[in-house]
Amino acid sequence: MVNRKVKKSAALLLTVLMALSLAACGGNGGGKENAAAENTGSNNGAAKSGDSEKKVTITFQNIYPDPTTPSHKMINELVKEYETANPNIKIELDTLNTDQQKIKLKTQAASKEIPDITIVNPAAQMKPFVDAGLLAPLNDMLDQNGLKDTYQSGLLDYYSFDGNVYALPDGNNIEVVYYNKEIFEQNGIKDTPKTFDEFLDVVKTLKAKGITPLAIGEKDSWTGSFLFMNIVLRTNGGPGFLQDVMDGKKTFEDPAFVEAVDAFQELVQAGAFPDGATSIDATAGGNIFKSGQAAMWVIGSWETGAIDASSVAGKVGAFQFPTVNGKGDPNEFMLAPGSAFAVSANSEHLQETKDFLNFFTLNLPKKQFELKNAVGLGQKVDGDLKAAGYSDLAIQIAELFNNVKGGDLAFDNTMNPATAQVHLSSIQNLFVQKVDSAQVAKEHQTAFEANKE
Amino acid sequence: MKVLKVPARTIAVFVLPCLLLYVCLVFVPILVSFYSGLLKWDGITTAKFVGLANFGDMFWNDPVFWPSVRRTLLYALASMLEIPLCLGMAILLHRYLKRGNTLASIYFTPVILSVVIIGQLWKTIYNPTSMGGMLNGLLISLGLDNWTHNWLTEPKIAMYSIYFVSLWQYFGYHLLIQFTGVSNIPEELYEAAKIDGADGLKADRYITLPLIIPIFKISIVLAFIGSLQAFDMVMVMTAGGPAHATDVISTHMYNSSFLSLKYGYGSALATFLVILCLTFTVAINFVFNKLEKKYS
Repeated sequence: MVNRKVKKSAALLLTVLMALSLAACGGNGGGKENAAAENTGSNNGAAKSGDSEKKVTITFQNIYPDPTTPSHKMINELVKEYETANPNIKIELDTLNTDQQKIKLKTQAASKEIPDITIVNPAAQMKPFVDAGLLAPLNDMLDQNGLKDTYQSGLLDYYSFDGNVYALPDGNNIEVVYYNKEIFEQNGIKDTPKTFDEFLDVVKTLKAKGITPLAIGEKDSWTGSFLFMNIVLRTNGGPGFLQDVMDGKKTFEDPAFVEAVDAFQELVQAGAFPDGATSIDATAGGNIFKSGQAAMWVIGSWETGAIDASSVAGKVGAFQFPTVNGKGDPNEFMLAPGSAFAVSANSEHLQETKDFLNFFTLNLPKKQFELKNAVGLGQKVDGDLKAAGYSDLAIQIAELFNNVKGGDLAFDNTMNPATAQVHLSSIQNLFVQKVDSAQVAKEHQTAFEANKE
Repeated sequence: MKVLKVPARTIAVFVLPCLLLYVCLVFVPILVSFYSGLLKWDGITTAKFVGLANFGDMFWNDPVFWPSVRRTLLYALASMLEIPLCLGMAILLHRYLKRGNTLASIYFTPVILSVVIIGQLWKTIYNPTSMGGMLNGLLISLGLDNWTHNWLTEPKIAMYSIYFVSLWQYFGYHLLIQFTGVSNIPEELYEAAKIDGADGLKADRYITLPLIIPIFKISIVLAFIGSLQAFDMVMVMTAGGPAHATDVISTHMYNSSFLSLKYGYGSALATFLVILCLTFTVAINFVFNKLEKKYS
C-alpha cells in the first residue's frame, strides 16, 4: 500500500518536473519553434513535388522584432524586393528579440538544425558554432558583386576563423557617452568632462541636485560590463588587456584591472546610477535617459536612431569616454562589431541562400541610409548625412567614428562564455555593495583559469 | 481484478500506449539528462566524457551552488508553512460564511494570472522610492521612512521579497483546495459530535484535522514541487541577480547551461534537482502515511 502510494506520488512528481523543464524551454520558444520548423520543412517537400519549377523556402532568423525601428523596415522591404524579383524563392522570417534568438539558436545547434540564415555575435561568441561546423564559409559569396569591398577594412576579421569568413555584420558601433545638453546647461555644467575626475565632479553635481547622473539597466548585466571595460581600456593605457590575459602575458590581478575596479566603485559610491539599477532591464534603463530623467548614458552608438526618435531628440550630444587618472586615449573606443548574418552549413538550399544574402547585404547600407539609420553601419555608404537630413547627433557620432584609433571588444566577445558569466555577475555585484578590488580581480583570475581550454 | 475477470493481456493492451508515451517523454529524457551530467559539453561542439567531475565541481568548487540550494529549500519550507494558514482560513470561511466559496474564488484570482504579469506588477510595487515604488511610498506616507528599501536589489532582502510574492500568489490556490476538503466533510459528523459535546475547536481537532489529512498532503506536495519550479518568478523579477543573490537551483541550472554554455554542468544540476525532489517527496509521503494510519 505504502509502496504503491510512494510510486504514484513519485510518478506525479516526475511528470511535474518534466512539465517544468518543458516550460523552461517553452519560455524561450525552443520547443514550439522546433515544431514550427518541422512544419515548414514538410511544406517545402510538398511544394517541391507538386511544382515543376523549383520552389525554395529560405528561413531567415533575425533580431528585428520592433516594427517601429528602421532595421525592421529594412529587412522586410529588402525581403519583399527579392521575392518579387525571384518568384520561386520564399523568404520566411523568424523574428525574435535578441535574447530569445540566442537561446533558440543554441537549442537548435544542440540538434544540429540551425536555420538557413541566422544571427551570431562576433569573435568568442560565435566560435563554438564555427568549431561545431555549423556555419558555411562565405568567402566565395563575398567575392560576388564586389561585396567584400563594401565592408570597413578589418571589420570582417572579427567574423573570420582560419582564413574563412563565417558571418557578415549588420553594423559596427562604438561606445560613447550620450548626454542631455539641457540638463547640463540647467545645472551649470559648461563643458563635457575630459578626465575621470571631471566626470566624477559632474556626477556629484547632478546627484546633489537630485538628478540621476547615468542611466543604466543592469539587470541585463552586459550594460555595466560594457562601461567597466571602457575604464579598463583607459587604465591599461590602450587596447589588448583581455588578449594579454588570454596569451598569459598579464593576469586579472594586474594593477590596470584593479585600478579600473576602484574607479568603477568610485562611480557607484558617488551615486552615479539609478536606485535599484540591478532590477532594471536594459530597455527600461535606456528609457530613463530617453525620457529625460537621466543626464548621461554610456552605451553603444547603435542607440543614436532611437534617441533621435525619443522625447529628448535634439537635446542630446555625445562625447568620448574620458581618460582615467591621465591614462588612455579618448580616441580609443570600446568597439562593438554588430550581430552578423551567418549561413547554415547544412542548408538544403545553400546556393540560393548565399545568393539571397549577397543581395541582402549589398543593399542593406543603401536601405539603412534611406531609413535614416546609417550611423554605425559596417559598410561604406555613399551620401551626405547632412544633405539627407540626419540629426546633429547622428552627424556628431559619425565624426567620432572618423577619429577611431582602435579599441577593444566587449568582455563576452573576447573571453569564453563561462568566464564571461563570472565577470558579468562580479561587476553586477559592485552595484549593490562595496567590494575589495583585489578580491574582484582574484575572482576573475580564478574563473579564467578554471575555464581555460 | 479477478472479480471483473479481465485478462491480464487486455489490461496490458490498454495500459501500453500511455506507458510508452510516459516512458518516452519522462523517463528517457531524465536518463539522457543524467548522462549529459557526466559530460563536459557546451551543447554545441563534441562532448567529452568526464565521469563525476561535474558533481565534484558542484559540491566543492561552485560558490553559487550551496547558497542556491539553501534558497530553494527555504522557498519550499516557506510555501509549506503557508498551508496550515490556508487550512485555518478555510475552516473559518466554511464555518462563518454562508457563501464561503465566493470569497475563496476571489482569493484564487492571482493564480490564474501569468507569473510574468505578477512579476512585473510586484516589480513596480517594489520599485525604489525614486522610481515611485508603491510599497516605499506607502511606508513613507506612514512616516516609516527608514523602513524603505530597494526591495529587489539589496542582496540580503531580495530573496525574501520574491518569497513573499510567491506566497501571496499561491495563498488562494491552497485555500481553495483546503476549502473544498473542509466542505466535503459530512455535516452529520459535526452534528453527532455536537451531541457528544465537541464543538468549535474541539470538533476541528477531532474531526476536521484527521479527515483533512489526505487533502493537506496534496497541498504540501504541490507547494513543495511548486517552489522548486520557482524559475519563472525569479527570472522575471531579478534573473538571479544582484550577483547570484537570488539564484535558486533552477535559475542556476539555466544560467550554467545557456549563458555559461556549460550544458553538461547544467545537466548535473538538473540531476541533483530530480534527486532532491524524489527524496523529499518520498519523505513527505512517508510522514503522511504514518499520520493517516494513526487516524484511520
